[in-house]
Amino acid sequence: MSKSLLPRALRLLQPRFYSSSSTTSSAPSLTRSPSQSSKPTTTTTRSPTSALSSLFAQDELSKPSGHMNSPLGSGTEAAEEVIKHQHRTEMYLRKHPRVWRDGDVYAPHDLSPAEAKKWRGVKAPKKDVIDMLGVNPLDNYRNFSMISEFMTPMGRIMHSKDTGLRPVNQRKMAKAIRRAIGLGIHPSVHRHPEVMKMRGRLITGI
Amino acid sequence: MASRSVSPGGALLRASRMFSMPAPLPPPAQEAAQATFRSHSDTATSAYPTHQVITTLSHARKEGDWGLKRPLPLRSTTKSSTPMLRIKGIDTIEQITDYTSGADHGLSLLKFQELGLPISTPSSRISSLSRSDSGARSVFDDDIDCTDIAAKDRAKLVDQRWRFSGPWLAGMSPGDFKKYLAEKVRPRRTAFRNFLKEKIARGLNETAKERALDRAEEEPPEVTVESILDEQVTEYLREVRNQNAILYQLVGEFLDLAPLKPPSDITSDQLMGNQRVTLAPDTRNPYAQHGPPKTHPSAGLSYIRTGAYMENHPVYGPQKEHKPVEARVLRPRSSQHHSAKLGIAGFVSESQAGDNIHNQKSGKSPLRHFDPELQGGAKLYVQPELASVDSDGKLRIKIKDSVDLEAELVARELIGEGEGLFGQQPKQVEEVSKETLRRHYSTKTSRGAQDYGISMDS
Repeated sequence: MSKSLLPRALRLLQPRFYSSSSTTSSAPSLTRSPSQSSKPTTTTTRSPTSALSSLFAQDELSKPSGHMNSPLGSGTEAAEEVIKHQHRTEMYLRKHPRVWRDGDVYAPHDLSPAEAKKWRGVKAPKKDVIDMLGVNPLDNYRNFSMISEFMTPMGRIMHSKDTGLRPVNQRKMAKAIRRAIGLGIHPSVHRHPEVMKMRGRLITGI
Repeated sequence: MASRSVSPGGALLRASRMFSMPAPLPPPAQEAAQATFRSHSDTATSAYPTHQVITTLSHARKEGDWGLKRPLPLRSTTKSSTPMLRIKGIDTIEQITDYTSGADHGLSLLKFQELGLPISTPSSRISSLSRSDSGARSVFDDDIDCTDIAAKDRAKLVDQRWRFSGPWLAGMSPGDFKKYLAEKVRPRRTAFRNFLKEKIARGLNETAKERALDRAEEEPPEVTVESILDEQVTEYLREVRNQNAILYQLVGEFLDLAPLKPPSDITSDQLMGNQRVTLAPDTRNPYAQHGPPKTHPSAGLSYIRTGAYMENHPVYGPQKEHKPVEARVLRPRSSQHHSAKLGIAGFVSESQAGDNIHNQKSGKSPLRHFDPELQGGAKLYVQPELASVDSDGKLRIKIKDSVDLEAELVARELIGEGEGLFGQQPKQVEEVSKETLRRHYSTKTSRGAQDYGISMDS
């Protein structure tokens, strides 16, 4: 490999993003659609410098023309493009709400729309949170965050299928809620306003 | 058949490892998430497989023979190109074999092994966000890959061990901790006092010997464990109660607790001179930060001991870098998430957190924006650097900052995409029709006259 190859490659470092389709076989780039790909038809081998330089030259030519031609309007156009792309990204990513964690394993099935649908929305917890925390609900009747958490926005005590608590803890929690309401220290028809304020839901009332 | 009498030899074979499937593991724990209202899916691929994945030979698969109690239905087991199944029940109450595809974990394992990455110990945080990989060693190094340690050496070798019989206190929820105290710790009070008696006896003997050496006297008679009174033990406990570091060492040794790393708040207190807050001495164990692994640190994923091998290309010769790998962009970077999530060999990893030319807001970088027009999704080449299994049993892959441009070109040329380094054009492969493919992979053996090229029409 010639020495001139390395400096040139590093100087003209361009991101190399492409799709996996086999039709775009030569130097695919984002801004060039497959129909426009001008693949050279000659089969003679060329020098390494010319091969790499041709890749970069094609990329430079295919940059959006607004970037170079209109220095006055390029700023707003670029900003509009960015906003358009951001909006499109948000809209599409809403369809895949799964939060990917480092180390997760995924198969093609996990990227399908059927699987993506299951990650939407809020689900009832599967484990008992009171057991995990090791607290006694009855001792926490004054803990308005906890009381409001196990209450619906209308002020009703949540069912165990929504809280995920086992029967013993569900009864204790319900008793703590009734105690707080009976003492008059917690509202009976909605959640505690301080708690709602903390969560930023004072206006919506959830 | 409901119940068959089995011969003694048959019973022995059935109970042997060769003829039985290993018991399924407990599913991966996502305790914190499962106690909240966050969404979760039952059918999502789990972080590690819990059932053994089995395969069979092609001629046996055509007959449905997977080495199980009964042949499996052909329609669902012969259409895939990957013959991998997960058996949930060899013979259920409904007298069927409960099976499902095991290709998700099976193929992920094969893909990871293709990367050729050795598994290293976790060094503080194996993530693409951290810059340092100091201290990452192969998990198969002799000094750290040993579980057969005598009881008396356990305390000395705390920094080299990965398996502990006691729990990791920092990873226990408060409820679990209370349960552990009540069930496992409280009944062992007398044993702990005897353990302390031994320690006191040893301490007294050592100080007496030293004093005798200093004064050039005869060695005094040894203090036996039985001679130490309960009051002495109580007095010692009272002294040690205010010295957290020593107390933690004693308790940790007795219960065989996994080493803990003191949190950063406490160290700042230490700097201010508050000695009482010292929890534990600095430990060099790589698992002190996030807890010891549930299984062997390699998790059986790869048995390669080092990545210090040179890849040899048939045309270009020895390569400086290992072959870069195509990664899928699962979720681009956003204002909430500072790094894009990439999928490498079926495992989720993170891209670099910082701003660089590849993830600028302007432009159409897939690390930043989602482009629905890309066929098959956005992919890019990355260079994986380190892999380690963390305490949850998940594999963490660390990616290098950037990919060598030449290495990427060479890798793409190897799979027939794009020009070579010297401008060679890729080979034109003719498209094979679906019908030809289906015929090639079908399970039927002969098509009759068509096999001989004789069509029935003519």
